[in-house]
Order: sequence, then structure tokens, then C-alpha cells
Amino acid sequence: MSTSSKRSRQLRARRARLRRRARRKAAVAKLSPALHALTTSALALPGIAGSASAATPISEYTAEYGYSQYREDALPSSKVAPGQERERYEIDIHQLRLAAPLGQRMDVTLDLSHETMSGASPWYVDFDQQSGRVVQVMSGATIDDRRTDALLQGTYYFDRSTAALSGGFSIEKDYRAFNVGIEGTREFNEKNTTLSGGLGASFDQIDPTQDPILAPDRPGREDKQSASIFAGVSQVLSRSTAIQGTATYQHARGFLSDPYKRAVVAGTPLPDRRPDQRNQLALLARLRSHFEALNGTLHADYNYYLDDWSIEAHTFDLAWHQSIFDLLRVIPSIRYYSQSQADFYAPFYFAPRGDGLRASDYRLSPFGALSYRIRGEARIQLFELDLGLNAGYERYESDADLAFGRVTTENPGLVSFDLFSIGISGRF
Amino acid sequence: MSRLAALLLLLGLAATSLPGCASVRPWEREILSRRDMAWEPDALEAQRRNHIYFSKEAALAGGGGGGGGCGCN
Amino acid sequence: MSRLCLRSIPRALLIASLAGTLWLGPDGAAALQSGDAAPSFSAPTLQGRSLSLESFRGKVVFLDFWASWCAPCATSLPLLDALRNEFGPDDFQVLAVNVDRDPDKATDFLTKRPVGYPSVSDPEGELPVRFGVQTMPTSFLIDREGVIRYVQRGFRKGDEDALRARIRELVARGR
Repeated sequence: MSTSSKRSRQLRARRARLRRRARRKAAVAKLSPALHALTTSALALPGIAGSASAATPISEYTAEYGYSQYREDALPSSKVAPGQERERYEIDIHQLRLAAPLGQRMDVTLDLSHETMSGASPWYVDFDQQSGRVVQVMSGATIDDRRTDALLQGTYYFDRSTAALSGGFSIEKDYRAFNVGIEGTREFNEKNTTLSGGLGASFDQIDPTQDPILAPDRPGREDKQSASIFAGVSQVLSRSTAIQGTATYQHARGFLSDPYKRAVVAGTPLPDRRPDQRNQLALLARLRSHFEALNGTLHADYNYYLDDWSIEAHTFDLAWHQSIFDLLRVIPSIRYYSQSQADFYAPFYFAPRGDGLRASDYRLSPFGALSYRIRGEARIQLFELDLGLNAGYERYESDADLAFGRVTTENPGLVSFDLFSIGISGRF
Repeated sequence: MSRLAALLLLLGLAATSLPGCASVRPWEREILSRRDMAWEPDALEAQRRNHIYFSKEAALAGGGGGGGGCGCN
Repeated sequence: MSRLCLRSIPRALLIASLAGTLWLGPDGAAALQSGDAAPSFSAPTLQGRSLSLESFRGKVVFLDFWASWCAPCATSLPLLDALRNEFGPDDFQVLAVNVDRDPDKATDFLTKRPVGYPSVSDPEGELPVRFGVQTMPTSFLIDREGVIRYVQRGFRKGDEDALRARIRELVARGR
């Protein structure tokens, strides 16, 4: 018997074993790997909590609630191993924000969010020799997974500067993260120029749900620490235009791999293994310009990203805020994103890498994404209460063809989704 | 210190003394005080979007930074 | 970009931010201060009739620069109105200067939140320049002889208490 036909028999047998395992998993209700497994809470970055533009403390009490739901598109059968689950995540997000003045020169903000995720998530990428296609193998069906985030921020306003302190946490069944941040702003040139800067730190701990039968080599409790710094300058260009540039740098170390994902190396799915350090840089430029004749405002943002895993990414975001009778606002927007791959990424490996790294996660693969959004806002005055209502829809699609450069192999796990959101806010 | 560091330092210092660029007087900031002229007019939406993209893409989105707005008090 | 370069960036950012905050550059035009004589002027009120600062000579005047789009201004208006009612009309008056480019916005604002004192309209922004207004709102407390005695920059709830004490002192001087 020739080596190649013996090998292909072995590969077929292995694939059949994997399929049986996958079916068994589907029958066993199991917690799905949390999407966040790799992510620090986005709120960990200083400033993301939404620093007010004007260096004026708020004078009213504000309460805002938002509900969003999005469903990831089911994977086409061509991208999934036969007999596999194709449905992906459905996610519900509840958000609450409370803000209040505190004395003459301070205000405080509390942000809470609760997210529920259910569905299947990508496990590893395999090569289906029969069809000659790269396919996504999914993990089994799941029970709901929940995540709760909280962030508290207090800001003090001097005459021409501000100082803010923030702290928060993000908790999930298998994950805990705490973050702190400090930031300040200083105004110059009759408040036409503002300098901002900040520092943030996050401490994460993951306690992956163990599965001694199907994943006996899954890591146990692991830690991760990250620190970030940002500096920014904003400049008023005219009565109706302002621009801003910020630079953010983040350093992370510890366990940066995904404990629930695997990568196929010479036919065997092995645990995801990424470097234990990561340095990331993001440069953001923003423009806000109002056109009086049209009663509309243009928002244009560009973000350049680079890290030492060799990923380079560009984000372009354009939005038009159209006011109608000062009561209604309609906001169409479009976002284009493109990223290159991590240097150690591959859909699967024929042989182990010299540095021992391996990851087939679509988030490290080369791809582009296009988002279309439409949002509507209405404001009503009810006696002493200033009420706001909003609703929005977004369609997000990612595809290797949308990337800037040429992509040889698209990761089959790329995600697309439809998102709906509604919200209500009150100021009194 | 690399050239990039020196450039950033220069930009930081230069930014603080940017007169000449059409200085908008404190009483002329009506348009800048509009809610749709804020860097993030809706904090909830910005947080949600940043978090969702962050969970599906590799990039970090820059952020933070004040400035613009009413400039009152 | 090399890894060494990437790692040197945080240091650069830190230095740039620090340098920026330590820079205490001059800020804004020369503003009128306590001890300066208040410039005389006359301007049309929002209703159209002409009003001059001279006509208030002999009384303590609180000259308040405000706009419909300024949130702290909205806080101050009713508080100033209440303050005005605590003193006799021959002792203390409030004169407001509205700087809205579109005076209709000021009129709409006052229709919803009326005050008992007059507002002159200066859409071209000539008076804020003459008085050296540095922030919105800014107010000038002028004594019975027309000399500025106190400049209130910005307004925060509670500021009216400090103002009350100063007004009382100036009112007592002229009697």
C-alpha cells in the first residue's frame, strides 16, 4: 500500500472519529466558550466609557437604557465539516448608564451591561480532503452564557482642565477581569486646543470550563495583565468643525491564547497557542463638521492599528447626522475594516512551527468587513424631563475578498450578522 | 529615543501653541455645543459597537480625548 | 515598524502628554478686571427698544453674558432673577447680553423660561470682545459709579450665594 493512500485512509478515519465526537458533543449540553475569552473588557481602555467633549460637568441627572440583539449568520454548508452545527451565536445585550452631578465641580457616571450569548462557536479549522475545502469545525450546542460588566467613573473639573478616575469589572462564569484608569485633559488657546492623556490597567483571570473526556489538555486557571497609555489632541478648526487625533498603546502579557480553540497540526487538533506578550498601537483621527445649510453633521473617523503579532488594520467610519426639525435625527453610516493576519496564524499546519505557536482563530486571519447602519433618534420634552428614544439596525459582513491585500485562504469561520437595537434616555 | 518618539514630542508641544488657526471665541461655540458635534454623541452605542467589533476583529480602536463642545464654565 | 520602535512608543507618548500639560501658554484676549471702568454701550433689546449701560448709573448692575446654547447659562438665569428680587429696584439691577447669532433662539428660550430683567441682543459679538469675555457665561458686577468690582467666570449652582454677599456690600456703599 502506498504511503499517500495509507495516509488518506488515516485522515478519513480521523475525520470520521472527529465527526462522531462532534455529534456526541452536540448531545451533551455544554457551556460554550465565551466570545470574550481573549478580550479585555472594551471598557478597560481609558476614555472608552465616553468622555464628554465639553469640559463642563453635567448639570442634570441622566439615565439611559439600551437593548440590542444580534444573530450571527449561520455558516454556509460549504464552510462546515459534514454533519456539523451551522448555527452560530445569538446575543442579547442590555446596557444601562446613570450619570449625576456631584457638587459644583464633579460628576460621576456608572455604566452597566449584561450580555447573554447562546449558540455554537468555532473550535478549529480542518481540511476536508474529499471536497478539497477548508472547513470550520464547530463546538457543540450550548446553554446560555452570561456576562456582566460595570464601570464607575468620577471626573473633577478645574477651570481649564479635568481629571478623571475609573474602575470596573467584567464577570462571566469562567472569566473575571478588573480594570482601573486615570485620565486628564487640559485646554489651551481659549479652549480651541485640548490635550488629553490617560493610563489604564487590567487584570484578567480565566478559569476554563474543563472537559476531561473531549479536551483533557485544556489549560486550567490562567492570568493576563495589560497596561495602556493614550495621548490625544483636539483642535477646533472653525465654528463648525473640530478634529482630533489620539494615539493608544497597550501592552499585554500572560495567557493570551484561547483555551477553547484548537489548531490542526499535521492532522491533529492541538490547543491554541499564542505568544505570551502582545504590544498594540492604535492611531485614531476624527473629524466632526456641521453644515448649516443642510442642518446635518459629518463624522469621519480613521483608525490605524499595528501590533507585534504582525497584524495591521485599517478602519474607516463615515456617518451623516441629519437633523429634522431639531426633534428627529436620522443617521446613516458605513464602516469599512481590513486586517492582515498574525504572523503565526494559519488555517491549519502541516508541521509544527519552530516557535511552537499555532492559532486558526478567524480573528487572527486576514479579512475585511463592511458594515451598513441606520439609526433614528427622537427627543421630546415632557415637563421637566428631556426624553430621548432611539432605534438602529446594522448589517455586518466579513469576507477575505474585502481585505486590502490578497488573501490566499479565507478562514471559514468569518462572521456576519444582523443587529437591532432600541434605547431610551431621560434627563432631569 | 527613536525618531518617532521625537516627532510625537514635537507634535505634543506644537499642539499646545496653535493660535493662528482661526481661533473660535468662547461666545461663538453654538454649533460646537451641538450634541451631534460630540466625539461620541451616544455613549451607549459607542460602547456597544466598540465591544462587538473588538470581539470579532483583531484591532484596538483608539479613543479617549476631550475637546470641542461648548467649552462653558 | 521594528519591535524596538513599538516598545519605545509608550515612553514617547508619556513625555508628549506631560510636556503638553506643563505648558502654561497664554490664553485668550486681555479681559476687563476688577477696578476697570465698564465700557459704555447701548444696544437693542430682544424686543427692539434701545438700552444703554449708562441708564443704570447710580445702581449696582450685574451684567451677564449668556446664550441659549450654553447649559450653565440656563442654570444661572432663574437664580439671577431670584437674586434680583431680593434687592430694591433702585439698588440692584440685572442686565443681560445675549450673544446668540440668531436672536430668535434667545426669544424662544425666554418664552419657555421667562425672567424679569432685560436682555440686549449682540449677535455680532462686539460686546464680548470689548469686555474680554473668556468663557460662557461671564458676568461683571458693576458698582454705582460704573466700575467693575467682580468678574464671575462660568456659573455653578451655589455661586449665587457668594454673589449675594458681594452685591450686599456694594449696595450698602452707595446709600
